[in-house]
Amino acid sequence: MDLVRDVLDKQVRDRQGRKMGKVDGIVLELREDAPPRVAFLEIGPMTLARRLAPWLGRLAQAIEIGLDVGDGCPLRLTLAQAREIGIEVIVDIDAERTRAWAWEQWLGRNVIARIPGSGARS
Amino acid sequence: MKKLLHVVLGVVTSIGGFVEVGSISTSAQAGASFRFRLVWSLAVATVCLMFLIEMSGRLAAVSKHTLADAVRERFGVNFDVIPLSAEAVLDVLVLAAELGGVAIALHLMTGVPARWLVLPAAIAVWLLLWLGTFGMIENGLGLLGLVTLAFVVAAFRLGLPWREVGAGLVPSLPADHRASYGFMAVSILGATISPYMLNFYASGAVEEKWKESDLPMNRITAGIGMGFGSVVSFGVLAVAALTLQPAGIQVDGYEQAALTLVPAFGRWGVPVFAAALAVGCFGAALEVAVNLAFAMAQAFGWNWDKNQKPAEDARFSLVYTLAILIAVAPILAGVDPLRLTLVSMAITVMVLPFVVMPFLVLMNDEHYVGRHRNGRLGNAVVAFVVVMGFVLALVAVPLEIMGS
Repeated sequence: MDLVRDVLDKQVRDRQGRKMGKVDGIVLELREDAPPRVAFLEIGPMTLARRLAPWLGRLAQAIEIGLDVGDGCPLRLTLAQAREIGIEVIVDIDAERTRAWAWEQWLGRNVIARIPGSGARS
Repeated sequence: MKKLLHVVLGVVTSIGGFVEVGSISTSAQAGASFRFRLVWSLAVATVCLMFLIEMSGRLAAVSKHTLADAVRERFGVNFDVIPLSAEAVLDVLVLAAELGGVAIALHLMTGVPARWLVLPAAIAVWLLLWLGTFGMIENGLGLLGLVTLAFVVAAFRLGLPWREVGAGLVPSLPADHRASYGFMAVSILGATISPYMLNFYASGAVEEKWKESDLPMNRITAGIGMGFGSVVSFGVLAVAALTLQPAGIQVDGYEQAALTLVPAFGRWGVPVFAAALAVGCFGAALEVAVNLAFAMAQAFGWNWDKNQKPAEDARFSLVYTLAILIAVAPILAGVDPLRLTLVSMAITVMVLPFVVMPFLVLMNDEHYVGRHRNGRLGNAVVAFVVVMGFVLALVAVPLEIMGS
């Protein structure tokens, strides 16, 4: 498997097929006397922004902490959680038990719900 | 029934993408200045668009991914920032131009200054998306879009000089105003091949869960839908050629373009023109706004569904809301919508290669399209659009910025 070609930037879906985001980054673990292995797949704006420029990553992290969207850590998945890796990555977890939708929920609560007709339950 | 819906999707995409402020104004200008000499440009652009739309539907049906999805996944985020940000800028500009178009149409009907009418236009677009009714009215929009056929009816009433139309299918340089002729040819291509149509069409296909068995239907839809749009564009060009050109009137505002239907329809001419402009631009504004939200959601892997409540896809809803807010600003500030249209077409031409080039790779990648890869002809058309885009960007855009 070619990590960059086959895993990085692919759509991630949970076990019910719901969209969790894209594989925004891959964390490798370097080991002595053994080839590096994949520690985590990361999902989140911070990881994504860091790939474009390190300062953007720090900015995204600061915003996330400042607005209390999350604790400044991206969502981390392991390869073992992946059930299928094709043109999409299907993972064997429930999206709502993770922080995959932290921004979605924060914006829904703090912005969208304040506009009439949004369908949000208050 | 489902098959019929397919074709409706094509026609709706076509009305929103083809018959809109850019196409109406360029076609009217082309006809008023050069009669039927630029028909070839419209024909070439239409064929390219049919091919591109067919491919984007094929990509969606086989891979269940849209162009925006696939570009992020296949080329990575470091590449995707270029087409994605280009598309964002372009979509907002086009949205502003379309809202301006609706405002002008309302102005022609009511006499109220256009810059104020942009507000009700923008609110109506936003409400339809926000209340989740766009999906419901999509088909209604297709029906309303038939009003744009008024241009074609008018062209026939005035009597089309078929020999001249046929001659226009072959490019021929006029004796004078050659620069302007070249510039118009470019504008027609830029106005016709709108990048947002590709992703909008594919998003519809993914939402409707097209399968490989839908591919023949996709081909027909792309052909009929885009064909419908080009016939209307041709109608606009023809009525301008038949009414404005003999009188020596050039189109430098919508006031002149509105006169094109008067000889055929008398006092109904201006209202019919306004209705066609309003429907076309309104459809395009809806499509562009929702397409920007589609593109962002697909590039970042969010949920997207234009029929969900905003509370259920907050990020998606926020994107189109912000886009509409930003797009209203220039029109309210008094920027001429026609000017905005010209600028957005110039940018379209610049952006085109970046949007279409990845297409060439994806449509030949069996991970995405399996055995339904592009044939030589399809690849040649895409390559032609890419090369043309580069040449146009180098030659025409400086001209457009200086000259207009």
